Amino acid sequence: MGLGKSVKQFFDDRFDTKLAAELFTKQAFKRLPPRTGWLHVFGSLSLLLFISQTITGIMLLIYYRPTPEAAHKSIQYITAEVQFGWMYRQIHAWGASVMIMAVIIHMIRTFFMGSYKKPRELTWVTGVILFILTITFGFTGYLLPWNQIAFWATTVGTESANKVPVIGDWLQYFLRGGDAVTGETLSRFFVVHVIILPWALTGVIAVHLFLMRLNNLATLERVDEEVPLKPEHGIPFFPVHVTKEGVVAVLLLAVLVTLAVVYPWEIGEPANPLETPPHIKPEWYFLPSYQLLKYFEGTYGALMGIIGCSVPFVLLLLWPFLDRGKERHPKKRPLAVGFGLFGLLGAMFLGYLGHISETEQTFFGKRYHITLKGWPVPLDDATDEAPPKH
Amino acid sequence: MPNDMNKPPSRRGFLDLILALGTFITTVAVAIPGLMYLWPAAKGGGPDKVEVEGASNMAPGQGKTIQVGSQAVVVVRHRGGFKAYSAVCTHLGCLVKWEQSSKSFLCPCHAAVFDENGKVVSGPPPAPLPEFVVKEIGDKVFVSAA
Repeated sequence: MGLGKSVKQFFDDRFDTKLAAELFTKQAFKRLPPRTGWLHVFGSLSLLLFISQTITGIMLLIYYRPTPEAAHKSIQYITAEVQFGWMYRQIHAWGASVMIMAVIIHMIRTFFMGSYKKPRELTWVTGVILFILTITFGFTGYLLPWNQIAFWATTVGTESANKVPVIGDWLQYFLRGGDAVTGETLSRFFVVHVIILPWALTGVIAVHLFLMRLNNLATLERVDEEVPLKPEHGIPFFPVHVTKEGVVAVLLLAVLVTLAVVYPWEIGEPANPLETPPHIKPEWYFLPSYQLLKYFEGTYGALMGIIGCSVPFVLLLLWPFLDRGKERHPKKRPLAVGFGLFGLLGAMFLGYLGHISETEQTFFGKRYHITLKGWPVPLDDATDEAPPKH
Repeated sequence: MPNDMNKPPSRRGFLDLILALGTFITTVAVAIPGLMYLWPAAKGGGPDKVEVEGASNMAPGQGKTIQVGSQAVVVVRHRGGFKAYSAVCTHLGCLVKWEQSSKSFLCPCHAAVFDENGKVVSGPPPAPLPEFVVKEIGDKVFVSAA
């Protein structure tokens, strides 16, 4: 008996391998609805990015030191001394942004195609939880290089926590591990980033995938009127959809390496707790909240701001239970689609304002100073950089 | 139902109650030390009363950022003496800077301005900068929390 057969026999004698093989075959060759196309790859792309982040994260952990004295130096060491260290660091840093983008595109498709409706409400809810966990990943990982921008962005971010009614001060103290952002905060964020979040995300992904497989992908048919998929009409998951995912995976690798080489992330100055750098801004995915918070002033303003920033996430979680109409096709859901577009464009507009605030910009040949709140103030000739014409 | 409530508990019901209570107490007993462990241990960032080094060399109008306890504090020398305010902006926790030319504290994060007494002049902060106690003993200056 050959080695392969011996191994098979070993397992056959101990487990119901026939059942396991049947389950695997059923999942691998499962038929997906006929319209399953390229827009459906963003879920797998997000998963792929999570795997990439896990692998590059483990690589970085070998050399990273989570203390205020050593963190920044260890990042410098990884970048300058360790072979290919720069590449893993860049792919990890860029991977975070690309992963959040992939999750957002995946959610946009699901929202506009009405795929969150019965019987897939819980698949959507677990998806929103995955989105929240992913941006928490971004927030906690941002502090780890212990540079000026990271330190002060975290100070501002955790300061917002104390605006939460009643428990705000405790919450901030607990998050920071003290009154201010210190080594205690770095330790806490490190543990959350490398232990708690990866396992939490893995668990919720497992539930999300299980639910997705259980109910299959949604079609555009009305709720409760989905016609069971005939095997000859569907697209086999393997090899048709898997091939698409493979193509996207290769493209993703190319995009990540290109970004890493062409637009490398700077290491920045080491954190200085006694000096705040001017005009610190958070990462792009926090810009809408950052900008929204600026419009709420005074004692109750901050509280209103926190509520304003939380409402979109609560709405997202509850959306399948609020929109209970039977239609899935976007053309037949003008209210939901309008609401979604309003939210999406609103977030993009706020994010853009946050990005250009406190800078000088040129619109239609005229230069403006963009204020903190995003209002354009025309600059007079004296402050215009263009040379005067004679 | 009133009739049900008047019935004596069965042996099985009583054991179920004991089991539920036991599970609850055990869970709480395990959770409390865990939560207490996670709660930050009280740890000061430094002494609560600090001497301002080089205070005698500061010119009137000049400011300096020091650390008192775990807080950053700006000490400013005025013509009448020294004053100290928390450097932590009451908006979102960035550190303000003393601007000698405009005699004001400026927050670099959201362009908030506080006057020389720590009161909000413009911008989003909801409260003035807390004042710290300054004691001048001879040519030495000490700052401590109020």
